[in-house]
Amino acid sequence: MKEFNITNQSSFRELQIIESLRTVLDPELQISVIDMGLVYNISAEPESEEIRIEMTLSSSHCPMGEAILQSVKNRIETDFPGTDVHVQLVWEPQWTYENITEEGLKQLRR
Amino acid sequence: MNQLPKTAPGMYRLIIIHYLISGICFALLAALLLLLSGDFPQHYFAPGTLAITHLAALGWGTLIIFGACYQLLPVLLECELFSIRLPWIILALFLPGLFCLVLSFWTFDPGLHMQVGGLLLSTSVILFCILVYKTASRSHIHSAYKDFILTSCVWLLATVILGTLLVFNFQYGFLPKDHLHFLRLHAHMGIAGWFLMLIIGVSAKLIPMFLVSRDQPAHLLSWSYYLINVSLILFMVDAYLNGLSGHTQLILLPMLAGLGCYFVYVSRCFRSRLKKKLDIPILKTALSIFFLSLALLLLPAIIHYAGVSSAWSVKLSSLYGMLIFMGWITALIMGQTFKTLPFIVWVKKYEHLSGKAKIPMPADLYQPRLLQLQYIAYLAFCFTFFAGFLLSYSTLMIIGAVCIVVAACAYLGNVIILITHKTTIKP
Repeated sequence: MKEFNITNQSSFRELQIIESLRTVLDPELQISVIDMGLVYNISAEPESEEIRIEMTLSSSHCPMGEAILQSVKNRIETDFPGTDVHVQLVWEPQWTYENITEEGLKQLRR
Repeated sequence: MNQLPKTAPGMYRLIIIHYLISGICFALLAALLLLLSGDFPQHYFAPGTLAITHLAALGWGTLIIFGACYQLLPVLLECELFSIRLPWIILALFLPGLFCLVLSFWTFDPGLHMQVGGLLLSTSVILFCILVYKTASRSHIHSAYKDFILTSCVWLLATVILGTLLVFNFQYGFLPKDHLHFLRLHAHMGIAGWFLMLIIGVSAKLIPMFLVSRDQPAHLLSWSYYLINVSLILFMVDAYLNGLSGHTQLILLPMLAGLGCYFVYVSRCFRSRLKKKLDIPILKTALSIFFLSLALLLLPAIIHYAGVSSAWSVKLSSLYGMLIFMGWITALIMGQTFKTLPFIVWVKKYEHLSGKAKIPMPADLYQPRLLQLQYIAYLAFCFTFFAGFLLSYSTLMIIGAVCIVVAACAYLGNVIILITHKTTIKP
């Protein structure tokens, strides 16, 4: 979970992005990409119009992979108009079930 | 944005056409079952039974597996499909072959139509195997799934080649032993070699994926693979040389042990799942495993009765076939269709809108009531039809056949709703 750092100017914006990404759901499990633990890093400098998101997928060649990445890009572009959004897919570290957050686990158990 | 391979253009149409045609075959199969149910043949080697079995095995089971494979092979083998054109050629050969074969079995005309059907199907299967092997040669992963899938193709090829030889044998009688002897080998290569190998391979990946299972003991899959294949090869040799005998019971043991490993694997996936709620498609998958277990329990009895030349051997063999095709394979396909097809349609219709607007989820693209109706009608079919056959009570069988017609219509209706889904949401 991203911690809020009051001395860091970009911290507030990154938290806004996280909240925005909470509305992007994994189509099968219907939990957010944040709670799935797919998002590894967000960088959004306040002076820059660029937002960089580093994320992974639960498996390579996942047929929904393209859709999930596109959703993330679309969501941020919609919520932060005028920004240049880059979604970078990474495979290291490899995603495991341990990445799912407590909130995600709670939703899966419902 | 990413390094994911793009879905080939035309792939969507290719896959949904497989789902649609196999759904039509299922409805046709149910209608034929209803036609026969008043006077159901007691022996499995009868025109109606042969037509229905081949429609079930090829039109319903194999065709949908072909379609699903084009979508799933890249996921399982982590590489792109070798060709997008070849599947169309495979389909173009498969459909007339299926039509000729089923029609000529139904009217029992073992002449040119049946032979052409056999040859078209063989060619189609050879091309499918080439496609799978060429795709696998691009894959750098080593997994039990890959072994199961590749081996299943070898068994499919052997099944179809022997089947075609049997078709020609009707007219020319060149095989060294009687027809039923080879029919047994043909059926088991298809059931245990093709369907079982492929279903274990694919389900071993999909079940834990859908359930979000922490525990996926891969070593059990390896044991399962070797035990089932050793048992099947021994069965082929022994059954060819000696027919069904005391040896067959012994040969059955590694098969049961191999399936036991698979059942333990599935059970551990279920027990360690993070997703607690089980939906209808997953319940159907569990039901299919129950039917497979029931069919397996019949095998020692079939072998025993065959040894003492009892009529129960034939009756139980027919029930075994029904449990395999109308129980195990049908329940699995009916369940997994609504785990795979909604995603395929969703990606096509909503991928570009995802994150921009409020859009439905894949599970919202079909009618849940039709899915419930399909599930209940199918359960009613299983209880009434199988019991009716065992008790030789035709009224029960007719009721069962009506239920499967309802289930097939509900299934096909939902598939049509899915593939004709139109989005009205604008970005």
